[in-house]
Amino acid sequence: MGCCFTTDINQGDSVKPLIPDPSLDPTSGSEQNTGTLPSNHTDEEDQQKSILRRAALSIIDVSAVVSQGLEQREYMDRARQYSTKLEVLNRTLSQKNPVFLPSLTSQPHQVLAADLVTYSDLQQLSKIAAYAYSAISQIKVDAKEDVVVQFSI
Amino acid sequence: MEGALEQHLDDTMKNPAIVGVLCTDAQGHNLGCRGSLSDEHGGVVSVLARQAASLTKDPTDSPTVCLESDSGNILVRTHGTITLAVHKMAS
Repeated sequence: MGCCFTTDINQGDSVKPLIPDPSLDPTSGSEQNTGTLPSNHTDEEDQQKSILRRAALSIIDVSAVVSQGLEQREYMDRARQYSTKLEVLNRTLSQKNPVFLPSLTSQPHQVLAADLVTYSDLQQLSKIAAYAYSAISQIKVDAKEDVVVQFSI
Repeated sequence: MEGALEQHLDDTMKNPAIVGVLCTDAQGHNLGCRGSLSDEHGGVVSVLARQAASLTKDPTDSPTVCLESDSGNILVRTHGTITLAVHKMAS
Protein backbone atom coordinates (compact mmCIF):
# COMPACT_ATOMS: atom_id res chain seq x y z
CA MET A 1 0.00 0.00 0.00
CA GLY A 2 2.77 2.38 0.82
CA CYS A 3 2.16 5.96 1.88
CA CYS A 4 -0.97 7.95 1.10
CA PHE A 5 -1.46 9.21 -2.45
CA THR A 6 1.35 7.09 -3.80
CA THR A 7 1.27 4.37 -6.34
CA ASP A 8 4.17 2.71 -4.68
CA ILE A 9 3.23 -0.97 -4.54
CA ASN A 10 6.41 -1.98 -2.83
CA GLN A 11 5.18 -2.74 0.71
CA GLY A 12 8.62 -3.36 2.05
CA ASP A 13 9.23 -2.00 5.49
CA SER A 14 5.86 -0.28 5.93
CA VAL A 15 4.11 -3.44 7.16
CA LYS A 16 7.02 -4.92 9.02
CA PRO A 17 6.05 -5.21 12.72
CA LEU A 18 7.91 -2.96 15.12
CA ILE A 19 8.21 -5.68 17.79
CA PRO A 20 9.20 -9.02 16.27
CA ASP A 21 6.91 -11.93 17.21
CA PRO A 22 9.15 -14.28 19.26
CA SER A 23 7.21 -17.44 18.26
CA LEU A 24 7.84 -16.80 14.56
CA ASP A 25 11.50 -15.93 14.94
CA PRO A 26 13.52 -19.14 14.52
CA THR A 27 16.89 -17.68 15.44
CA SER A 28 16.24 -16.84 19.11
CA GLY A 29 16.75 -20.04 21.15
CA SER A 30 16.30 -19.40 24.85
CA GLU A 31 14.40 -16.22 24.14
CA GLN A 32 11.78 -18.30 22.38
CA ASN A 33 11.20 -20.50 25.46
CA THR A 34 10.84 -17.54 27.78
CA GLY A 35 8.68 -15.94 25.11
CA THR A 36 6.06 -18.71 25.24
CA LEU A 37 5.61 -18.40 29.00
CA PRO A 38 4.57 -14.74 28.90
CA SER A 39 2.11 -15.55 26.10
CA ASN A 40 0.57 -18.28 28.28
CA HIS A 41 0.28 -15.79 31.10
CA THR A 42 -1.46 -13.28 28.87
CA ASP A 43 -3.83 -16.00 27.70
CA GLU A 44 -4.69 -16.85 31.27
CA GLU A 45 -5.03 -13.19 32.12
CA ASP A 46 -7.34 -12.72 29.17
CA GLN A 47 -9.43 -15.69 30.27
CA GLN A 48 -9.60 -14.37 33.83
CA LYS A 49 -10.59 -10.95 32.57
CA SER A 50 -13.34 -12.42 30.39
CA ILE A 51 -14.63 -14.48 33.33
CA LEU A 52 -14.62 -11.39 35.54
CA ARG A 53 -16.41 -9.40 32.86
CA ARG A 54 -19.11 -12.03 32.52
CA ALA A 55 -19.55 -12.23 36.27
CA ALA A 56 -19.75 -8.45 36.57
CA LEU A 57 -22.46 -8.35 33.90
CA SER A 58 -24.57 -10.96 35.67
CA ILE A 59 -24.17 -9.58 39.20
CA ILE A 60 -27.12 -7.68 40.61
CA ASP A 61 -26.04 -5.31 43.33
CA VAL A 62 -28.89 -5.28 45.81
CA SER A 63 -27.38 -2.64 48.05
CA ALA A 64 -27.35 -0.18 45.21
CA VAL A 65 -31.12 -0.43 44.72
CA VAL A 66 -32.88 2.48 46.30
CA SER A 67 -35.90 1.12 48.18
CA GLN A 68 -39.13 3.05 48.10
CA GLY A 69 -39.94 3.75 51.68
CA LEU A 70 -43.33 2.44 52.77
CA GLU A 71 -45.26 4.58 55.10
CA GLN A 72 -46.33 2.97 58.35
CA ARG A 73 -49.98 3.40 57.44
CA GLU A 74 -49.61 1.81 54.03
CA TYR A 75 -47.56 -1.02 55.54
CA MET A 76 -50.31 -1.81 58.05
CA ASP A 77 -52.94 -1.65 55.32
CA ARG A 78 -51.06 -4.12 53.17
CA ALA A 79 -50.46 -6.47 56.11
CA ARG A 80 -54.19 -6.48 56.87
CA GLN A 81 -55.04 -7.07 53.23
CA TYR A 82 -52.68 -10.07 52.96
CA SER A 83 -53.88 -11.64 56.20
CA THR A 84 -57.54 -11.47 55.10
CA LYS A 85 -56.63 -13.06 51.78
CA LEU A 86 -54.76 -15.84 53.59
CA GLU A 87 -57.70 -16.44 55.92
CA VAL A 88 -60.04 -16.89 52.96
CA LEU A 89 -57.60 -19.33 51.34
CA ASN A 90 -57.12 -21.30 54.56
CA ARG A 91 -60.86 -21.62 55.00
CA THR A 92 -61.39 -22.93 51.47
CA LEU A 93 -58.45 -25.36 51.80
CA SER A 94 -59.64 -26.82 55.10
CA GLN A 95 -63.09 -27.36 53.62
CA LYS A 96 -61.66 -29.30 50.71
CA ASN A 97 -59.30 -31.55 52.69
CA PRO A 98 -60.84 -33.24 55.69
CA VAL A 99 -58.57 -34.53 58.40
CA PHE A 100 -57.59 -38.09 57.51
CA LEU A 101 -55.98 -39.13 60.77
CA PRO A 102 -58.44 -41.20 62.77
CA SER A 103 -58.76 -40.71 66.49
CA LEU A 104 -57.57 -44.04 67.79
CA THR A 105 -58.86 -43.76 71.32
CA SER A 106 -60.71 -41.36 73.56
CA GLN A 107 -58.66 -42.42 76.60
CA PRO A 108 -54.98 -42.44 75.72
CA HIS A 109 -53.83 -42.61 79.32
CA GLN A 110 -55.69 -45.87 79.76
CA VAL A 111 -54.04 -47.40 76.72
CA LEU A 112 -50.60 -46.16 77.75
CA ALA A 113 -51.00 -47.40 81.31
CA ALA A 114 -52.24 -50.83 80.21
CA ASP A 115 -50.09 -53.91 80.56
CA LEU A 116 -47.34 -54.39 78.03
CA VAL A 117 -47.52 -57.07 75.40
CA THR A 118 -46.45 -60.27 77.13
CA TYR A 119 -43.55 -62.40 76.04
CA SER A 120 -45.89 -65.38 75.61
CA ASP A 121 -47.91 -63.33 73.14
CA LEU A 122 -44.76 -62.59 71.15
CA GLN A 123 -43.76 -66.23 71.17
CA GLN A 124 -47.23 -67.25 70.07
CA LEU A 125 -47.04 -64.73 67.24
CA SER A 126 -43.68 -65.98 66.00
CA LYS A 127 -44.99 -69.56 66.10
CA ILE A 128 -48.06 -68.60 64.07
CA ALA A 129 -45.84 -66.76 61.60
CA ALA A 130 -43.51 -69.75 61.24
CA TYR A 131 -46.44 -72.13 60.63
CA ALA A 132 -47.94 -69.75 58.08
CA TYR A 133 -44.63 -69.51 56.25
CA SER A 134 -44.26 -73.27 56.05
CA ALA A 135 -47.89 -73.57 54.86
CA ILE A 136 -47.27 -71.06 52.11
CA SER A 137 -44.07 -72.76 51.01
CA GLN A 138 -46.24 -75.79 50.24
CA ILE A 139 -47.94 -73.76 47.51
CA LYS A 140 -46.08 -74.69 44.37
CA VAL A 141 -46.73 -75.51 40.76
CA ASP A 142 -47.45 -79.21 40.19
CA ALA A 143 -46.51 -80.02 36.59
CA LYS A 144 -48.83 -82.82 35.52
CA GLU A 145 -48.52 -82.81 31.75
CA ASP A 146 -46.68 -81.09 28.93
CA VAL A 147 -47.65 -77.55 28.12
CA VAL A 148 -46.80 -77.89 24.42
CA VAL A 149 -48.94 -80.53 22.70
CA GLN A 150 -48.56 -81.82 19.17
CA PHE A 151 -51.76 -81.74 17.12
CA SER A 152 -52.10 -84.71 14.78
CA ILE A 153 -53.95 -83.38 11.73
CA MET B 1 -52.68 -75.79 47.42
CA GLU B 2 -53.63 -73.08 49.86
CA GLY B 3 -55.48 -75.56 52.05
CA ALA B 4 -52.70 -75.77 54.60
CA LEU B 5 -52.61 -71.99 55.04
CA GLU B 6 -56.40 -71.71 55.27
CA GLN B 7 -56.48 -74.47 57.88
CA HIS B 8 -53.73 -72.77 59.84
CA LEU B 9 -55.61 -69.46 59.87
CA ASP B 10 -58.77 -71.23 61.06
CA ASP B 11 -56.81 -72.92 63.83
CA THR B 12 -55.36 -69.57 64.87
CA MET B 13 -58.85 -68.06 65.14
CA LYS B 14 -59.89 -70.86 67.50
CA ASN B 15 -57.92 -69.05 70.19
CA PRO B 16 -60.57 -67.03 72.07
CA ALA B 17 -58.35 -63.99 72.57
CA ILE B 18 -57.56 -63.67 68.84
CA VAL B 19 -60.21 -61.76 66.87
CA GLY B 20 -58.35 -61.25 63.61
CA VAL B 21 -55.43 -62.58 61.61
CA LEU B 22 -53.95 -61.43 58.31
CA CYS B 23 -51.21 -62.85 56.15
CA THR B 24 -49.59 -60.82 53.35
CA ASP B 25 -46.59 -61.09 51.10
CA ALA B 26 -43.78 -58.56 50.90
CA GLN B 27 -45.76 -56.29 48.56
CA GLY B 28 -48.85 -56.19 50.78
CA HIS B 29 -50.86 -58.64 48.69
CA ASN B 30 -53.34 -60.46 50.91
CA LEU B 31 -52.67 -64.21 51.14
CA GLY B 32 -55.34 -64.96 53.74
CA CYS B 33 -57.31 -63.16 56.43
CA ARG B 34 -59.87 -63.81 59.12
CA GLY B 35 -61.98 -61.78 61.50
CA SER B 36 -61.32 -58.13 62.13
CA LEU B 37 -58.35 -57.90 59.75
CA SER B 38 -59.15 -57.86 56.05
CA ASP B 39 -57.87 -57.06 52.55
CA GLU B 40 -57.63 -53.32 53.07
CA HIS B 41 -55.15 -53.72 55.94
CA GLY B 42 -52.65 -55.68 53.89
CA GLY B 43 -50.71 -52.73 52.54
CA VAL B 44 -50.36 -50.95 55.86
CA VAL B 45 -49.32 -54.11 57.69
CA SER B 46 -46.58 -55.03 55.22
CA VAL B 47 -45.18 -51.49 55.10
CA LEU B 48 -45.12 -51.18 58.89
CA ALA B 49 -43.16 -54.39 59.20
CA ARG B 50 -40.73 -53.34 56.49
CA GLN B 51 -40.12 -49.93 58.03
CA ALA B 52 -39.56 -51.49 61.46
CA ALA B 53 -37.03 -53.90 59.96
CA SER B 54 -35.01 -50.97 58.63
CA LEU B 55 -34.46 -49.76 62.21
CA THR B 56 -31.97 -52.53 62.83
CA LYS B 57 -28.84 -53.37 60.85
CA ASP B 58 -29.10 -57.09 61.60
CA PRO B 59 -30.98 -58.67 58.69
CA THR B 60 -31.87 -61.79 60.69
CA ASP B 61 -33.51 -59.75 63.44
CA SER B 62 -37.23 -59.60 62.70
CA PRO B 63 -38.92 -57.04 64.95
CA THR B 64 -42.49 -57.28 66.16
CA VAL B 65 -44.61 -54.16 65.67
CA CYS B 66 -47.29 -53.72 68.34
CA LEU B 67 -50.22 -51.39 67.80
CA GLU B 68 -51.84 -50.95 71.19
CA SER B 69 -55.33 -49.56 71.53
CA ASP B 70 -58.29 -49.87 73.87
CA SER B 71 -59.78 -52.46 71.50
CA GLY B 72 -56.87 -54.86 71.75
CA ASN B 73 -53.38 -55.12 70.31
CA ILE B 74 -52.36 -55.80 66.75
CA LEU B 75 -49.05 -57.60 66.54
CA VAL B 76 -47.21 -57.61 63.22
CA ARG B 77 -44.22 -59.75 62.39
CA THR B 78 -42.34 -60.76 59.27
CA HIS B 79 -41.17 -64.29 58.72
CA GLY B 80 -39.20 -64.81 55.56
CA THR B 81 -41.21 -63.44 52.67
CA ILE B 82 -44.56 -63.17 54.48
CA THR B 83 -45.88 -60.72 57.03
CA LEU B 84 -48.37 -61.83 59.64
CA ALA B 85 -50.68 -59.63 61.71
CA VAL B 86 -52.66 -60.88 64.68
CA HIS B 87 -55.38 -58.84 66.38
CA LYS B 88 -55.55 -59.97 69.98
CA MET B 89 -57.80 -58.70 72.73
CA ALA B 90 -56.23 -57.97 76.08
CA SER B 91 -56.89 -60.93 78.36
